[in-house]
Amino acid sequence: MAPLSLDLAIETPENVVLTHQLAGPAWRCAAYLVDFALRWIAMIVALVVLLVLAAATSLMGLALGSLLLLMFLLEWGYFIGFEYFLQGRTPGKYVCGLRTIHENGQPLSWWGATLRNLLRAADTLPLLLIYGDQLGGIALLPVYGPALVCMVLSPKLQRLGDLAARTVVVHERRTFLPRDPVIYEKIQPLLAGDINSFVPRSDTLALIDQYLGRRSVLTYRRGHDLALDLAVALAERLDYQGDLDAVKNYPMAFLARVYVTFAAIRDVESKGSPGMAIPGSQRRRKAATP
Amino acid sequence: MTKQRFLAKRRPAWKRFEALVRGTPRSAKDVREYSRLLRELSNDLAIIRSRDWGQGLVSYLNDLVARGHNGFYQRVPADWGRLGLFLTTGFPRLFRANAAYFAVAAALFFVPLAVTWSAVQSDPTLAMRIIPSEQLEMFDEMYRSRGDCPEGEDCPLEKAGDEEESLAGFGEERTAAAGFYVQHNVGIALQCFARGLLLGGGTIYTLLFNGIVIGGVSGYVLSLGHSEKFLSFVVSHGSFELTAIAIAGGAGLMLGDALVHPGSRTRIEALRVRGLEAVQIAGGAAAMLVIAALIEAFWSPAPIPATVKYVVGASLWLTVAAYLIGAGRKA
Repeated sequence: MAPLSLDLAIETPENVVLTHQLAGPAWRCAAYLVDFALRWIAMIVALVVLLVLAAATSLMGLALGSLLLLMFLLEWGYFIGFEYFLQGRTPGKYVCGLRTIHENGQPLSWWGATLRNLLRAADTLPLLLIYGDQLGGIALLPVYGPALVCMVLSPKLQRLGDLAARTVVVHERRTFLPRDPVIYEKIQPLLAGDINSFVPRSDTLALIDQYLGRRSVLTYRRGHDLALDLAVALAERLDYQGDLDAVKNYPMAFLARVYVTFAAIRDVESKGSPGMAIPGSQRRRKAATP
Repeated sequence: MTKQRFLAKRRPAWKRFEALVRGTPRSAKDVREYSRLLRELSNDLAIIRSRDWGQGLVSYLNDLVARGHNGFYQRVPADWGRLGLFLTTGFPRLFRANAAYFAVAAALFFVPLAVTWSAVQSDPTLAMRIIPSEQLEMFDEMYRSRGDCPEGEDCPLEKAGDEEESLAGFGEERTAAAGFYVQHNVGIALQCFARGLLLGGGTIYTLLFNGIVIGGVSGYVLSLGHSEKFLSFVVSHGSFELTAIAIAGGAGLMLGDALVHPGSRTRIEALRVRGLEAVQIAGGAAAMLVIAALIEAFWSPAPIPATVKYVVGASLWLTVAAYLIGAGRKA
């Protein structure tokens, strides 16, 4: 991975490297605000419900006691409970597509969740005192100073609680198996006589494949425009003897033909030893087209 | 094998694994299949990566294998049995292994408590310097007649006896008090623990502050001549409460000390190793404070002769000591 990458790489016992995309302060702040709002809403709803109940049953003490208990649970138990029982996700994190996991990729443990969320009390400092004279109350707003500084300085974007508990917050990607939008069977490979012995690098072929796979996000005209440079460059490099006007007018079609021509060769080369395949190696010259 | 043929061949296995990951594997056959597919998919991922078959495909398989990995290498889930085991063995053992931190925290808490207590008792005017006069008036008021706990910042201990109260209203009002004690005292203890991360500064401050205030209030109330009322009230829950605050403080000092004296580890590594122990100790302290809150709300203010309360209180202190010293030892 590149040094500036926000990916966390984890090597599993199956000897494969899994990557998780780390979440930065902005997304985590958004998730926090959602949780913050939810806690207040829960508090206010509970207050109203309990007041009504208390007025109806005259169990004022019971109502007050439960309210204080709820306050405690919302302050200290909300994050611990949700993160532990929902596998690292509070409602806010769920909305923002985040998840807390351990650095080694394992799901959040009980003490991990407890430690990282108890240490929130240190991460939130300094508390900003807001005096509301008209409201007759004081509000304590968390500034998350140490958390921000620590997150910026740590390579895995961890706040103090994360560092101590060995946890990271990652983006939860919901990816689907990409459909195969290009029907390569119907595309004619390039004729062996039209091109020289050059074989495009495997990452060039991969690029073509992905570009064609995603061409539906572009308009027809724009798709061809963007493909033009690569198509012309490849045609020159291959010393293509066919219809050059067709290459310029329908560069995507030309790229598809290039892909069909060479993909099979590249596959044959790396067959049997996937770990040894060196992208871009040009060990073997072009074989006959299928 | 071309990409297309590879996909066509492997797709059913991926779909099957997706279904397995989404549900919880039940039968032994499911688990075997899960294990086999996880290894197969790991291999597929490696093949696709090495052949540059597209980022979409790689990230699909990466996330699928990551989810499977999480499911496969899960820790044993927490349950009630493990909670019980923690409270009967894990916590007292960890406490004893780190007793030195508790000793320092206890000194930071109980010494200022004792000093201010005796100072204020011999010269009640000193109380003015520690506690705002409105709160002092509140205590005057409270102990002159029956009263409720002031919603003041740091007087978690003080609660007048409610001898005159009828038993019917008693339980009701006590519930409110129990809620308050949990919210207030456990909150303070957890904060005391967490702010130890600031090189121990937050913990030391909280311990000194609470020690001085509690000592000041106790001395002041005693100087007013309410000694039996006050002492019989605090003796029972004080066992769990004061000890637990010192224990939570000790856990906070562990965090700070890991950063100040990391030993042969890096500072962060030291924080991780000792943080895992410290948080368990703090968790145990929180459980003790919940017990203290229940005693404080339902037993301490009950209209029971002071002598009984002293006896019960003394046995509770012994219980706490026996628990911390003896529980979880190998026979």
